[in-house]
Amino acid sequence: MANILVVEDEKPISDLITMNLKLVGHQFFKAFNGMEMQVILEQEKVDLILLDVMLPGLDGFELMRRNRHLNVPVIFITAKDSLYDRITGFELGADDYIIKPFEILELLARINVVLRRNVQEHDGFIAEGVDVRLAARKIYKDGQLVDLTAREFELLEVLIQNRNIALSRDKLLELAWGYEFEGDTRTVDVHIRQLRKKLGWEERIKTICKLGYRLESEG
Amino acid sequence: MRFWQKTLLVVLLLFILTLDVSVMMIMKKSWQLNMEREIQRASSEQALIANNIYENLNSIKSRGMSINDTVLLDVARSYADYYRQQGIALQLWDQGQLVYSDESDTKDMPVIRNEQADNETVHEVIITKELPTPYNHLFLTYRRDIEELYAKQAELNRYFVYINFIASPILIILLYILIRQLTKPLRLLSNTTKNIAGGNYGERVTLKNNDEFGELAQNYNRMAEAVECHVTELSAMAEAKQRIVDNLAHELRTPLTSMQGFAQYLNSANIGEEERMTASGYIWSETLRLKNLVFKLLDLSILSHQPVERTSVSVVDLFESVWRTEHNNLEMAGIKLVLQAEIDSVWGDRDLLASFLINCIENSIHASSEGSEIRFLAYEQNSTAVLEVRDFGRGMSAKQVELAFEPFYRVDNARSRVHGGAGLGLSLCRQIAEEHQATLFLESEEHIGTTIRINLQLHNNNLLTR
Repeated sequence: MANILVVEDEKPISDLITMNLKLVGHQFFKAFNGMEMQVILEQEKVDLILLDVMLPGLDGFELMRRNRHLNVPVIFITAKDSLYDRITGFELGADDYIIKPFEILELLARINVVLRRNVQEHDGFIAEGVDVRLAARKIYKDGQLVDLTAREFELLEVLIQNRNIALSRDKLLELAWGYEFEGDTRTVDVHIRQLRKKLGWEERIKTICKLGYRLESEG
Repeated sequence: MRFWQKTLLVVLLLFILTLDVSVMMIMKKSWQLNMEREIQRASSEQALIANNIYENLNSIKSRGMSINDTVLLDVARSYADYYRQQGIALQLWDQGQLVYSDESDTKDMPVIRNEQADNETVHEVIITKELPTPYNHLFLTYRRDIEELYAKQAELNRYFVYINFIASPILIILLYILIRQLTKPLRLLSNTTKNIAGGNYGERVTLKNNDEFGELAQNYNRMAEAVECHVTELSAMAEAKQRIVDNLAHELRTPLTSMQGFAQYLNSANIGEEERMTASGYIWSETLRLKNLVFKLLDLSILSHQPVERTSVSVVDLFESVWRTEHNNLEMAGIKLVLQAEIDSVWGDRDLLASFLINCIENSIHASSEGSEIRFLAYEQNSTAVLEVRDFGRGMSAKQVELAFEPFYRVDNARSRVHGGAGLGLSLCRQIAEEHQATLFLESEEHIGTTIRINLQLHNNNLLTR
């Protein structure tokens, strides 16, 4: 999956972000200030930068200004939520702007949106003989094309992008069906059952008590 | 109407009015004098002619000739002929009866002393007077044309109008230049005011006049300076306030984000034991950090609402309570705390002063490296009690010292957070000093060390003065 550079001077936040990125299978680099950020940008191929605004020394806006020519997508992460700051962020060419405190699922969703917009090749997901090609929207099980409905595919995509994280039925409805959908949460159960059956993922898509479902993978 | 226009118009009108009225009065006087002179001349000439006629008649009489109308006519004609050349017309009347006249249309004898005749077309002086006795039944009328005088007067009038026509435009031009010159400072002031009102507070009036305008400009500049000063002060205050709000948001949001995120992580993620420990460790440490921040904020808020209870506080006691709180931190950092007390006690709130010292010493611990020492001094200076905490650590730059008392300001972000500081220590110290009406000094030099000093009362000064 993608290489993400996390520039954040608060160690807890930095760890929080990177631990979650690791869960869903992203590679990550940590930088605690602008200098470390520059070093990593020179040495590594970075697909996305998560950039804190209030950093010691040069602030996030200034760092953004200096690295605009690299054309690496940037999501600002900040506690400053004034309109002026947001506008400054977007004017500098930021792809998104997340305000602390944020929810990890929201952060991951936004990361996926930005990555989908900027990275051409889509990743796949392979487990237990099932090969999911997200870009082609095709799934092969033991070399055989599996026939999924559009809704089932959406649901699978959400589970893969948030793998290793338990998602509540409501969250799944929101992410896979969209905000306007006013369905019963049991719809989710029905679709999950279908997915498990079609892909043979009875164990892989886990039911988490009182929470929802989680797609598990090793790495 | 603009001021310069009003001034120009009023001055112009007044000037022309005054000038014209005086010129007219002078002309009138001169006319009067001329007229009087003419009449004078006429009357003396009349008297001369009358006297000549009288003598002539006397000599005729002495020659034994009787004086009848024919003789009178002869005499009159001979004089009239002579004087006609000088533009003088004569008439002789005998008891109201015309004896001789130059003109044919003469009707009645004029009144005895008719001085001047003024009808529309003819201007002349007419004087009628009797001859000396015994010929006082005879009246001689003297008439002289004074058309020339009137012509001169008319000429003078015309000239006066010309001068008015020429002088007025010149006057207008000169007045315009003069008034524009005089009102120039006003326009300058007006433009500057406009600029300042437009937000350009650095603008000043460049006027070096030594008059009222110069004074106005000076006062105006003084005002502009005060306004600029206040505006700068206000915007600096607004900026500081914004910084505090931003910082508070940051201070609250950062631990909240971690706590929320890690709790969620623990709750829903598929993780091993090691990650679980890390996550719960962060929740623990961030909770402490938030707790610390909230208590410091509470302290600050309580401080500004509660009266301080002042007593005589023993310096040694103070040192011991600080030592009790900080000796673990000091031992961990490998730093010695030294007491140098020259006075026994100070007048203040025991708990607040302890809190003050703990904050100062914590800052010093963070700034110092292992093996150095921190000195706690208590001494008397100018009959005030001074408590001083001195370290030999990293110190601060002048700019950092300036910002040091601002809430949430940290000299070194990363390190201070490691120690769990909220960035409120010195704000609290300042508040404590204010509650004691004490002065607070912060001196620092980079790589040399920092000294913080509070000047307190030695004893209860109120008691002493009572």
